[in-house]
Amino acid sequence: MMLRPLAAAAAAALVTITASACQRGEGLDPSKMPESVRADYELFANRCSKCHSLARPLTSNITDDEQWVRYVNRMRRQPGSGISRTDQEGILRFLTYYAADLRRAQAEKNAPPAPQAVPVLTKENPPPPAPGATMTTTTDAGAP
Amino acid sequence: MRSSRFLLVALALLVAALLALATPASAIERNFAGSAQLDYQFVPTARSAQASPKTFDGFTMEFAAKLAVDFSDKISANMKVCYGCHGFEADMMYFDLRVADELNFRIGRFSPSFGGFNLRHDPANHRLSDKPLPYDMGRMLRMRQWKLSVLPSPFPDNGLEVNGTKAVGPSAQLDYAAYVVSGFKAGPNPLDIDFQLSHSPQAYYVDDNSRPTFGGRASLTFKLGETSDLTLGLSGMYGTYDPSNDLSYLIVGGDATLRFDKLNIRAEYLGRRTEFSTSDRTIFKYAVADARGDFSMKHGAYVEVEEGLTNELDLIGRLDGMYRVGNVESTSELDRRSSVIRYTIGTAYAIERGLRIKLSTELWEFSDRDALSGRKLELSMHTALAGSF
Repeated sequence: MMLRPLAAAAAAALVTITASACQRGEGLDPSKMPESVRADYELFANRCSKCHSLARPLTSNITDDEQWVRYVNRMRRQPGSGISRTDQEGILRFLTYYAADLRRAQAEKNAPPAPQAVPVLTKENPPPPAPGATMTTTTDAGAP
Repeated sequence: MRSSRFLLVALALLVAALLALATPASAIERNFAGSAQLDYQFVPTARSAQASPKTFDGFTMEFAAKLAVDFSDKISANMKVCYGCHGFEADMMYFDLRVADELNFRIGRFSPSFGGFNLRHDPANHRLSDKPLPYDMGRMLRMRQWKLSVLPSPFPDNGLEVNGTKAVGPSAQLDYAAYVVSGFKAGPNPLDIDFQLSHSPQAYYVDDNSRPTFGGRASLTFKLGETSDLTLGLSGMYGTYDPSNDLSYLIVGGDATLRFDKLNIRAEYLGRRTEFSTSDRTIFKYAVADARGDFSMKHGAYVEVEEGLTNELDLIGRLDGMYRVGNVESTSELDRRSSVIRYTIGTAYAIERGLRIKLSTELWEFSDRDALSGRKLELSMHTALAGSF
């Protein structure tokens, strides 16, 4: 009998700790968007949260504009979606912006690392000393 | 009977013709989605020995995975598999044919359009751990006595649905749906619909009486502003559920949803009239009346207010209940007229995109005393983690 309240308390404590560890809302922060997209985002957030969480579209990783057109078209025609043709245009304007942002992020992630200049070791440009080592000389003593 | 079959064959031919006419896909697009909820329900008023047969006092886990495939602008396929209290189930497997905004077809296995809640039945899509009582699938206290709710959601079924949407003036939209599906099931000489059997894959999702159930829904959405609207809907469903086609059920519903910026107010009523077998009159608690003594009426309703306090935090209050009128088995704790009212307050906190914590407390007020504890009041608390992707 004592186990049940303990389990409930443990579950509540676990979720509270998790909640305090990471704090981010379900949607996006409109203040970080261009002014021209905010109204379309609000429309998207309002219409698309009627039936499902905003995480569905925002984490779907769709970057193709044409796929968004089909996706939203399919959603609009769901019985009782409440999305009109005019709404669809606004929602797609936001999703086009969002897809472009995703593509940009993916391109940055997949880009090869920029080549770093390889230092040429000369008497004038010796290798840096190992951490903790005592710099004693800048000559090539010991080299053949 | 013959006309129903003829109708089904005609519809099947129509669908085949539409498929043949459909534009071939230039590229097939797939979209994978899923959701899960782990809930812990703590019922401090329940005796531990009695808790299990009466309610889920403990952890429940449910998850679903969905695949949508867009073949073209006009055709898509949707498949959803769920795992919950009844094991794995096929919640969706249908083709979606879109001829025009006003004319779409869903063919296969789907949840027929009924009421306002069913669209949000997935635990990731509603803010409380529990569904509203008229749609409860088994988390309600004393569920065995009540034989579940009015229309346990989801209620996937096999069949065909015609639906569409039409703008009515600049600020209103009409949605309609009409469908023919297999219908609910039960064993021989039943006293109520067997919702578990109706879902069960063990029965291979085949009809038990070769007679379809018919239903439909119509709703009007009024646009009140950029982020506010009002939806009013009416739904109905009629069919037989026993193997010998003698016992019918009729479910009707009305719903209203007001969305005003981050405030959602939802209200819904459902009523089910279910005929039951009186072949053995000795099993009933009350004498079976010769006239109108062979059916029960179950009403259910809820009002729910949901306010988004911040981008992360929602506050939810709900009042829901059920009222049942009709004869019961002699072993039942229910009366000829029984009711239950539930008061719920809860919060949902989005800790990450697609991940939400749900906390809620429910106070239950039953009209009948519990046989063992003598209680009419019960308390339950939920802690859940729900996620979607």
